[in-house]
Amino acid sequence: MLLLAKTLAFHSYKGGTGKTSLVVNLGALYAKQGANVCVLDYDFRAPSLNVLFKAKPDHWLNDYLEDNCSIIDTLVDESAKFNLRGKLWVGFSNPSLEALKNVMSKDRRWEVKALSRTLAGKKQIIEEKKIDYLIFDTSPGAQYSSINALAGADIVSLVMKADEFDLEGTKELSKGVYEALGRKSGVVLNKIPLEQIAAGGGAEKFGKTIEAEVGLPLIDMIPCMCELMAMGGKTIYTLEKPDHTFSRSIARISETLRNM
Amino acid sequence: MSSRSADSAVVDLLRKLNRNVEIVSKKLDKLIEVERSSTGHFGRPTVDVPEGLPLDVTTLLSLPDHLRKSAIALSSLGEATATDLSKETARVRAVESDYLNQLVSMGLIKKKRKGRDVYFYIET
Repeated sequence: MLLLAKTLAFHSYKGGTGKTSLVVNLGALYAKQGANVCVLDYDFRAPSLNVLFKAKPDHWLNDYLEDNCSIIDTLVDESAKFNLRGKLWVGFSNPSLEALKNVMSKDRRWEVKALSRTLAGKKQIIEEKKIDYLIFDTSPGAQYSSINALAGADIVSLVMKADEFDLEGTKELSKGVYEALGRKSGVVLNKIPLEQIAAGGGAEKFGKTIEAEVGLPLIDMIPCMCELMAMGGKTIYTLEKPDHTFSRSIARISETLRNM
Repeated sequence: MSSRSADSAVVDLLRKLNRNVEIVSKKLDKLIEVERSSTGHFGRPTVDVPEGLPLDVTTLLSLPDHLRKSAIALSSLGEATATDLSKETARVRAVESDYLNQLVSMGLIKKKRKGRDVYFYIET
């Protein structure tokens, strides 16, 4: 099972690019299709999966990294809530202020242990829960926890908005982190205004321009949809609105990542 | 050729290949031992990493690819022999052993003997 499982990590240079929505909708879609999925909220500085799933787990991923429990103890089975063919396990990070302050106080020696525990934990989850897809949601930028997750991933999906801030920062990440880690990587352009796509010469040309700038292949391009911003944290589109434009984008992304 | 005899021929070929890989691996082990005994040191770390640095991701990012692969594999297993790690990295045991010893000489990982086996680990 270990050889067949795929570990995906979603990362970005800046925040607010839509990683969490992509991760949740993708994980739910794979589980709906019959795969066993585990989603881990590795955004310890701004946890949000607990909001969408309304979770109050017995153990947080923070507890696991502090060696206070096993990683299996942190997983909550969300499958029954959504009547999925496969399994959807979710590991949550602690949103309390105390936990956030604790995360900020860690030194490099602790980070060595965190890297080991991330890699070992991922392996244990895949083996014990017979996982087909393990998906990390990460903090934006060059955070230890994010790069620990990237080090454990088979494929890194870089989510970006294609403004100048994002472009320049992503180029740096691509050279300094993704290339260095040697992971298969690709870009998901998200929340792209239709005017920007038109000004870029249409979807195909705009996509190729970004690919050339960032130096990574384009996985997919998702246009900006205001209703998604209003519904963020409330709706899993791939389960509740499978014919929505966003759900269809996620379906394409799921196929691309399955075949990478 | 019937499909059964074709399968049998493929299995025989795979067995022969496996035996040849084991022979090459043993020869590499011998070569490394000879090199070590004549020079006292096999190869040299190819990157300057200050001693005493913890093996966190920032240190990992500064390593050359071949050493980073070994370091990540060891991070995942915790404590392992070169044979265990060579299965993770899909490299020949002798090559893996050399890379691990480079990481030891750089002060990034440690090793200890347990009976006849040498275990590599990351000190935390």
